[in-house]
Amino acid sequence: MSETALIDRRWIARGAERASTSRFLLWLFPWVCLLLLGIYAAGLCFYYGLNQTNMDNRFAFGMWIFLDLAIIAMGAGAFFTGFLVYILKQTDLKPVLNTAVVVGLTCYSGAVAVLMVDVGQPLRAWFTFWYPNTHSMLTEVTFCISCYLLVLILEYIPVLVQNRQLRHIPSFLVFEHQAHKLVPVLAGVGAFLSFFHQGSLGGLYGVLRGRPFAYRQGFAIWPSTFFLFILSAIAVGPSFLMLVVAAAEKITGQTLVDFGVYRKLGFISGVLLALYVAAKAIDTYVWLNITSPRLGFGPWDYYSYWPLSSTFLFTATVPLGLLPAILFIVPRTARHRGLLLLAAALTCCGVLLNRFVMTVQTLALPTLPFDPFLKYIPSWQEVATFGGVLAYGVIVYSLSYRYLPLFEATKGEAKNVSLD
Amino acid sequence: MFPWTDGFHWTPTHIVFLSLFGAALSVILATAVWGLWNTLNAFRQHLAAATCWRQNFGELPATERRCRHELAGRVPSRLCDHAFDCRTCPNYEKFAALPANVPASRAGVSYSDNLLYHRGHTWVRSDWDGTFAVGLDPFAQHLVGSPDAVQLPDVCDEVESEGIAWTMIKNGHKIRVRAPLAGTVISTGGPDRDFYLKILPHGQPNLRHLLKGPEVAGWLAAEVDRLQMQMSNGKATLADGGTLMPDLMDTEPGADWDAVLESTFIDR
Amino acid sequence: MTARYGMVIDLDRCTGCGACMIACAAENNVPPAAPRATWRTGVTPMLVHTLSNGKEGVDRREAFLPIACMQCEHETPCVSVCPQQAVELDKSTGIVMQMPQRCLGCRYCMTACPYHARYFNWWDPQWPPGMEHSLNPGVSVRMRGVVEKCNLCHARYHDALQKAAAAGKKEIDLADYVPACVEACPTGAIAFGNLADPNDPVTLAAKSPDAFRLLEAIGTEPKIHYKTTQAWIRALADRKAARPTEAQHV
Repeated sequence: MSETALIDRRWIARGAERASTSRFLLWLFPWVCLLLLGIYAAGLCFYYGLNQTNMDNRFAFGMWIFLDLAIIAMGAGAFFTGFLVYILKQTDLKPVLNTAVVVGLTCYSGAVAVLMVDVGQPLRAWFTFWYPNTHSMLTEVTFCISCYLLVLILEYIPVLVQNRQLRHIPSFLVFEHQAHKLVPVLAGVGAFLSFFHQGSLGGLYGVLRGRPFAYRQGFAIWPSTFFLFILSAIAVGPSFLMLVVAAAEKITGQTLVDFGVYRKLGFISGVLLALYVAAKAIDTYVWLNITSPRLGFGPWDYYSYWPLSSTFLFTATVPLGLLPAILFIVPRTARHRGLLLLAAALTCCGVLLNRFVMTVQTLALPTLPFDPFLKYIPSWQEVATFGGVLAYGVIVYSLSYRYLPLFEATKGEAKNVSLD
Repeated sequence: MFPWTDGFHWTPTHIVFLSLFGAALSVILATAVWGLWNTLNAFRQHLAAATCWRQNFGELPATERRCRHELAGRVPSRLCDHAFDCRTCPNYEKFAALPANVPASRAGVSYSDNLLYHRGHTWVRSDWDGTFAVGLDPFAQHLVGSPDAVQLPDVCDEVESEGIAWTMIKNGHKIRVRAPLAGTVISTGGPDRDFYLKILPHGQPNLRHLLKGPEVAGWLAAEVDRLQMQMSNGKATLADGGTLMPDLMDTEPGADWDAVLESTFIDR
Repeated sequence: MTARYGMVIDLDRCTGCGACMIACAAENNVPPAAPRATWRTGVTPMLVHTLSNGKEGVDRREAFLPIACMQCEHETPCVSVCPQQAVELDKSTGIVMQMPQRCLGCRYCMTACPYHARYFNWWDPQWPPGMEHSLNPGVSVRMRGVVEKCNLCHARYHDALQKAAAAGKKEIDLADYVPACVEACPTGAIAFGNLADPNDPVTLAAKSPDAFRLLEAIGTEPKIHYKTTQAWIRALADRKAARPTEAQHV
């Protein structure tokens, strides 16, 4: 083995099967290039301003906001798996807990990074904390996401210090031992924060009286989209986690978790998705027949722009909502790995479509009677930044998988056979 | 933020909102501080080494956590759930009272009835002056042979029980040897002397966790079996007519030494 | 002292000349548009839209509709959504105030505004050499990355306040407070006044049967009213006419 490979090997847990150093570098290379391109694009935006994007005064929110909402929905698997394992005691999901933490950390940190590029004055980000407007959903989102990112970092540290070399530093290993006792507390706080910010992301659009396409009535200060977003986020979280683990298994050529874990995640996803489709159907009925007409807008204000708008509504609920729910729940299909993963992919697509509709389509639809349906195509800088975040996630996960015990089952559970 | 700031309005919802967040943030920071504080305390109370030892022990596979009483033939099958620390094991006396039943020595490696053995493959000898000499046991010597480098602690350094006593480098592998007891280093030796360290413990040490007598044979036999399994992938030959061959790291460089060393010295 | 400043814009008089847009830009130190700017990325606190009845030939009718911030009074959409409290409804004037120095540039308020009356500074402001002498010293310049909008020439309100204070009066003389667009309009299509004063001509005009507001049903209570005798414009505004396929602007 070359000198580099020897050094690299020393950072990998003893006995762990990992690809050779050169193969790993080959795998990383395109992602690093994508990340660098993303950093360059973001740099252009910081230097020249947001005119580098194709956003404008009509599409004040564009691809990045859609990306943020989507990424945070996918990252919901982190808090929800923690909630299931530590609060609801579903310990058979423990093997995917570390993956969930890594996925959550990359999703949330990536979202915050993109937000910093998206706002006009990133150095003023602290203003939201210093001059909070508690009536604004965005304030709630900012506070919650910042706190939750802190939680995710604290949950990741015990995983990080289990690295073969890092654990030789006694203070790290001792801290990890202490941190393990605290994880249920962090899981509880994380669940509390996450429920709120997943909902507030939906609330961002539900409170917009000036956008009847998005505006919803609800319960107290919370529009129905608050609750629908929570439900769709916890439905897609386990699905996304399934896809990540399946991808890891495919790429590394190893079996990392029992099939039972997939089935359980799928079942949870399926039940929540079915509930979501039902809730969404009721919500859509109320919105189209009561809420929207009160604001002077009827269904044809939204769905006359065929084929887009109406197709989206149908697609989001039936093939990307009802179908995967059925595939997850019905035992005959749930037994089949391929169908399970297909259902997970469809669920993710459904949530992506839902986030797209709430962000981009809301802005495309005209409010003033003399405005047309508007179009928006993201610039390469926006796409590159998106790609950079994706690459960041893949790189962090690849490094975590290679150098950290992401999938090691809990050892040290002794079974004593007493003499008498 | 302050009530007198122009263009900023405090409302009752601010109180509710900021209180909730304050509470959540306090809990998060409290857990971090609590973790750090306890870590600091562990070092102050000299518990750090024991904690690291327990973490490493906890990750050993079941086959490598067999209780000394099983190895001594006192009980049919038992896994240790106490990190090999018989000093505080509530079941020790119950099992120790049972008769040992070790099969005829087939250890393939020598040991002495006058020495006490730590499961990290060091021996301990009580000397006339109240100090305890610590050395590398023959099993470990057969593996390591002559180390390329040895890094011993300085005289007057403190070692903690199950902490790292000294490190050796062999063929690019870093071997960290566990200390069988706690105390102050009085003098240092090396591979060319008959001891590595001489330790003066604080007060009368409890050495109940060290193996002695016939159970050492049972333990070493199990260790040789484990070594055989770990090295058989490389088709290594360990024993030549019943005795473990020396300098195995030199004679069998292709074996999975990472795994062997990790299991031998209980250091992941 | 509480005033509710608003406007009534007579669409039968608006010729679409755009003088109001230019006066607004001059008064508010709006920089020349960047080379790549379009009608969707320019800063146009006053923007004149072109309306048509969609017919061709002799039946075609066109009109012009100036849009500026509607100074919404009821549950002002942009005020409640700003995460930094950089927007507030000034109770003494009824003007929706924007604080560019606190604006983060998140553009949530722009999403919230149904009238699209808010504009983001996509570029750094740049004036050709020498043009900086034409800047209005009473109005601050905004940097890139912040949102701005019409504030009913608040600097002119401030000047009127100072003039009244110098004369020992507590309330301004409305003749001293004339927004730039009102002053520049050659046909007098834009009437500006205090809607809290029941005798103000603007208040009376706002109550006439020819007067209407955009998106009344949303319930934001805008203070910019429009007036027209042409039925097709009313039909369009009340969302009863066919929708155009292309946006048209001056």
